[in-house]
Amino acid sequence: MITSNLLNDLQMFVSSERIVKAQNGDDFLGNSGRIVVKPESEEEITKILQYANLHNRKISIVAGGTKRGFGGTTEAEDIGVSLENFKGITEHAVGDMTLTVKSGTPFKELQAYLAQYNQKISLDPFYPERATIGGIIAANDSGPKRLGYGSARDAVIGFRIAYPDGSVIRSGGKVVKNVAGYDMNKLFIGSMGTIGVLTEVTLKLRPLPQYESVILLAFPDGHHEWLKSFAAELLDSMMEPIALELLSPTLSEDLTGHRNYTVAISFEDVETSVHYQEEFVKKISPPSVNVSILEKEKACQFWEQFYNIGPKVTETKETEATLKMGVVNLDVIRVIQECEYMSDVHHLKIEGHGGLGHGLCHVHLSGAAEDVKTAIGQLRKLATELNGYAVLKYLPLKLRQEITVWGERPSYFFWLEGIKEKIDPKKILNPGRFVGGI
Amino acid sequence: MVKKSMQTIDKDIMNLAKIVGEKEILFKQADLLAYDCDGFTIHKHLPKAVVFPNSTKEVAEVVKYCNANQLPFLARGAGTGLSGGAIPLNGEVIISLVKMKRLLSVDLENRRAVVEPGFVNLKLTNSIADKGYYYAPDPSSQYACTIGGNVAENAGGAHCLKYGVTTNHILGLEVVMPSGEIIDISTNGVLDLPGYDLLGLLTGSEGTLGIVTKITVRILKNPEAKQTVLAYFDKVEDGSQAVSDIISSGIVPAALEMMDKIAIEGVESAAFPVGHPKDIEALLLIEVDGISVGITEQIKQILEVCKTRNVREVKVAQSEEERGRWWANRKTGFGAMGAISPDYLVQDGVIPRSRLPEVLARINKISEESGLRIANIFHAGDGNLHPLVLFDARQPGQTEKALAAGSECLRVCADVGGTITGEHGVGIEKREEMRFVFTEREIAAQTDIRDVFNPHNLLNAGKLFPSPGRCAEVKKEMKNGREAFA
Repeated sequence: MITSNLLNDLQMFVSSERIVKAQNGDDFLGNSGRIVVKPESEEEITKILQYANLHNRKISIVAGGTKRGFGGTTEAEDIGVSLENFKGITEHAVGDMTLTVKSGTPFKELQAYLAQYNQKISLDPFYPERATIGGIIAANDSGPKRLGYGSARDAVIGFRIAYPDGSVIRSGGKVVKNVAGYDMNKLFIGSMGTIGVLTEVTLKLRPLPQYESVILLAFPDGHHEWLKSFAAELLDSMMEPIALELLSPTLSEDLTGHRNYTVAISFEDVETSVHYQEEFVKKISPPSVNVSILEKEKACQFWEQFYNIGPKVTETKETEATLKMGVVNLDVIRVIQECEYMSDVHHLKIEGHGGLGHGLCHVHLSGAAEDVKTAIGQLRKLATELNGYAVLKYLPLKLRQEITVWGERPSYFFWLEGIKEKIDPKKILNPGRFVGGI
Repeated sequence: MVKKSMQTIDKDIMNLAKIVGEKEILFKQADLLAYDCDGFTIHKHLPKAVVFPNSTKEVAEVVKYCNANQLPFLARGAGTGLSGGAIPLNGEVIISLVKMKRLLSVDLENRRAVVEPGFVNLKLTNSIADKGYYYAPDPSSQYACTIGGNVAENAGGAHCLKYGVTTNHILGLEVVMPSGEIIDISTNGVLDLPGYDLLGLLTGSEGTLGIVTKITVRILKNPEAKQTVLAYFDKVEDGSQAVSDIISSGIVPAALEMMDKIAIEGVESAAFPVGHPKDIEALLLIEVDGISVGITEQIKQILEVCKTRNVREVKVAQSEEERGRWWANRKTGFGAMGAISPDYLVQDGVIPRSRLPEVLARINKISEESGLRIANIFHAGDGNLHPLVLFDARQPGQTEKALAAGSECLRVCADVGGTITGEHGVGIEKREEMRFVFTEREIAAQTDIRDVFNPHNLLNAGKLFPSPGRCAEVKKEMKNGREAFA
């Protein structure tokens, strides 16, 4: 009854063919809606929000669906707002190198469009075909090239945000440098859709590099001290790697065919500079390390494959999970080692990688639910020992209801809660999706 | 003896002295005069007192005392801010952080350093230069300004075109909240801590959301090579076009600075002249850095662009000494205006780079209409203009005229889709101009956030936001704001 009323009400804002009643039982990831609406304009979005706010309806926001396993303990909220139809470029100022885009636009589409102008967004998120720019930013997703190019907080210069009360707020602007007022952009990056629906994103762009390569260094087993001293030497040099990512042997086998601790180093610059840096890497590599170089398209292909590792975001027989772990740069080696040890002990497939220059790791686990849970516990313990954190970036709903996704509340949680309460006092947006149940 | 004299005065002064020590407080009017303004000298107000805490704990106790006794308070670093953020508008207790100036640790392996807020910006680079590292944000006042102040203002600098502003280099903060509670946000430098990005929100909040007492910053390895080009143009349009061409050619210069004719007259009359011709309309100072072999190619491209854009003369610095002279000439540019005008007002607008020629023409018109000369020194690469309005405060009415002309320049920036400040902050100076770029609702969204952190508005009140109300005008601005961003 309630659902059918809701259905009728929503038809006031969105035409009926864009309102779908959810099927039961297809939501092993949760974060869905009993009724899913697909707005096509900002106005439709604000009207839905205004309605939900007035009638205390809870909203779950989705677009490409790649982050439905990230946070939240509810199978379906009252309304699922899907932004999959809310896409397209609003403005591309080619000479100013800025781009304004609707939040439901898939990332890869954007990069393909920008490539025609020799430009790109300097982010390298996972699942670029399906992930949308809004989702990537709301979840603050980033990949290995963060070392060279930074993350969403370095690329975003402005937003239009639909607030829970239906008003629209602009933050930042369309220029690359801006300190007018609070830096509100930062508040929404990584906020998991809990304080507003991003409708438009303005990004600063970078030129496409003229040349690029990936060097793969396969380290022989049992020589972790070489790994550490190699990474330290490269980081202390004047070379400018865009990525310096350590891959666990299991992951390396999948990607390169060699079951070794492998360091993937990306260089992007003019061709002479890339080759010069490759030579430097060869020079400082320990003698028994196997060095191979992927140039140009082969380098691109390597990363394309890389960005699609991990859970397939569909229901599988084995339980799949992804942890994002943050530690201090060189502690990444310990995290990736631990992954390898644990895969033997727990009969799990564990693939891990982490940035030796930025300290962020991703660990993909696959196996029996109980083993996955145990491994998560152990990795969390390690993160704590290393003064870092471990967040569950992907986990089926059932397990999210058992294990806390975000770990311990930070000591300053009071202020985080204060922000949520101020902006979304009725807690209608993505309820419970974020740290400490925000 | 001090004690005795203090007993005859204010109980608050006595109690604050108990917290920080009797030698660490100023309260006599003569002593307070030096604290009645910062780098923005048009507004002045005396503080109630100035305290000089030596530790986070002392800062927290002072804040708690102020809270308990409803005393307004604010934090101050070196006082070099250009928008009035450290001016005690409400007779605040100033918490000066200049005694908390230690470099606490340097971790080269993980490329981070931890400093206290009173640590001077340039000292950080100087402390790690021998190991081949540096701290990237380089505001022109870097020899004096503190990193705590840089965090408050989200300071920029000439090299932020490639490397970003302060916020891109802050890894962690220890903060005394307006309630007096001390919080630690990732001072060990781990990225992406779960939760809303308080680091990002606090950086650039102009001292209204908390007082930073410890800062973890990212440090960078020196680039392998660096080359600097100086290009002289007979026409401003050619110079502006060259800027656009360089950026769109795929080069990301470390810095790309421009000065116009009046600015050149100023710097050539001041302490660091380098012999720029006085009859050119614009000069560009371009720096590229990175891997040596790559730079050679970039310089070639830059020289070609300049030639295509009718450059009169273009040269590459032949030595570090020459490069240093060019930069000293540029970095002291604001102060140099003192050599050609009794007073000057610095503005700080940002525009989309491609609108540069049009905006310069409009600024020129503002200058003609106001009868005041306006020099332009700016970070052209990221569209950050610094119009310098030259005036003589002794002439009645000129100060007001200069302020109005400065505001007009910001209006132009907002009109073309830009913003009213790129690195100096809003402070007192540009409170009303916030309405050029934000609607009333958007400003309310920001003050809502302030209320979460600073609910009694005792910390640095009266900054950043326009005075509420003025409905008719608000409506008009809302319309304009929407158009400007459409």
